Order: sequence, then structure tokens, then C-alpha cells
Amino acid sequence: MSRPLGLVPHLFVKDVETALSFYGKAFGAVELFRTVLPDGTVLFVELAVGDARLLVSQEIASLDALAPSTIGGTPLLLTLETPDPDDLARRAVFAGATVEAPVTEMFFGERYGRVVDPDGHRWALTTKREQYTPEDIDARKPHEV
Amino acid sequence: MADGNPLTPAAFQVLLALAAGPGGRAHGYGIMGFVAEVTGGEVQLGPGTLYRTLTRLAADGLAEELPGEDSRRRYYRITPAGREAASREASLLRRLVAAAGDADLLARPESA
Repeated sequence: MSRPLGLVPHLFVKDVETALSFYGKAFGAVELFRTVLPDGTVLFVELAVGDARLLVSQEIASLDALAPSTIGGTPLLLTLETPDPDDLARRAVFAGATVEAPVTEMFFGERYGRVVDPDGHRWALTTKREQYTPEDIDARKPHEV
Repeated sequence: MADGNPLTPAAFQVLLALAAGPGGRAHGYGIMGFVAEVTGGEVQLGPGTLYRTLTRLAADGLAEELPGEDSRRRYYRITPAGREAASREASLLRRLVAAAGDADLLARPESA
């Protein structure tokens, strides 16, 4: 049986250059290559974010590829693992993100916070730590949200 | 990656191919051929993976593209930082392979 090899978010944005500038400054994203249509539309850009891949496309209404501001929000939260979420959050804010939830210690044993990028995509910034077992986390979880 | 994080398998394989080349240099097809040969064909770096990996290594300062006249045959060279990263990864792999030997994972029958 074949199995998936990876999971790659593909984000639609209002303006690719603005978005790439943000992802570069905030998350150290590196552009690997891009495909541009003859009329100048950026069909997609492939980025490396850490060891992960990220695809970014300009909003194209005819393909139903719509940016968050067009839809009026996003149902997706992108979780970015990092050794230092405080530093990444600072860099994201400096690059133009807004803070949705400040970085703080969470019951599941991670320092975790959320920012919204200039295009309206939501990012969780968190440590890659595993000092709590699933039982620990279950015992520490809130009774309601 | 450049700050001491472990290299991805593809990044290590490409750096290894460059380090093994004359003057720490190799071109794309040379890298693919080297990796296929060393792994007995078990690892085949496709052109897409190779291009992405080289671009990323260059961005991280671990490899650099050499100026050349023939754009179809691009040469790349490992940088001192790339050599250091690959060397660190090789030392880590050596410890793991030694442990694998101790755990009898390397024992192979002489004839199948």
C-alpha cells in the first residue's frame, strides 16, 4: 500500500511579493522556485520553511483560490515548531503580524502563541518538546474552553 | 540547518557528493550519479529534489553555485561551513552505525 510522504500547506495570498517578504523576515523562509504565467500571475512559489515545504499562490478567483480577506477568515491554523517561539513571535510582529495569543506556557507542556500574518493566515508558534506524556496532558487539560 | 541542526538525508547526500568530487565540486548529473552509485541504486535523487536541495544549501551557505559558461551543466562547490555540517553529520552517523553493529543490525549472511 502506498502511503503519504509529506503534508504541505498551500496558501493563497493577495500579493505574493508582500507575503514572501513577510515569510522571509518572520520565519526565515527561502524561495526555492516559482512558476509565473505569461500575464505575470504567480501561479505558485515553493518555499522552504525550516525543513518543511510551503507553497504560496496569488489569489486567482477563477480557480477558487481565495485569500483569507476575500473569504472573511480562515478555518486553518498553521502550527510552526521552533526551539524559540518567543523569538519567532517577535520577528513575526516586527515583519507585520498581529498577536492573536501571546506566547505562554501551556498545559500540554509547550511554550505556545499565535499570530496572524498580514494576509490573514493564522500561525501557531510552538516549541517542539515532549516532556509530558499523553496521560500528563490529559490530567492537566482544562475542563472547558 | 546552518546553525548546527541535523541535515536532511538529501542535504547530507548532496554535500557528500560535492565533498567527494575533485576540489569539492560536482555538477548536477554527477551528484545524482554519485548518490545512486554509493547507495547501490537505493537512493535516486530526482532532478526536482536535487534542485530544491541545492537551492536550500546555497541559501544556508553550505554550498555555492560556481559561475560557468554552460548553463546546462551547472557546477556546485561545498563551502567550509558545508564541510563542517557534513562532517558533523558523518560523525553522528558513525556513532549510530557503530551502535547498529553492536545491536547485530549489520550482520549479513555471506551468501543468500
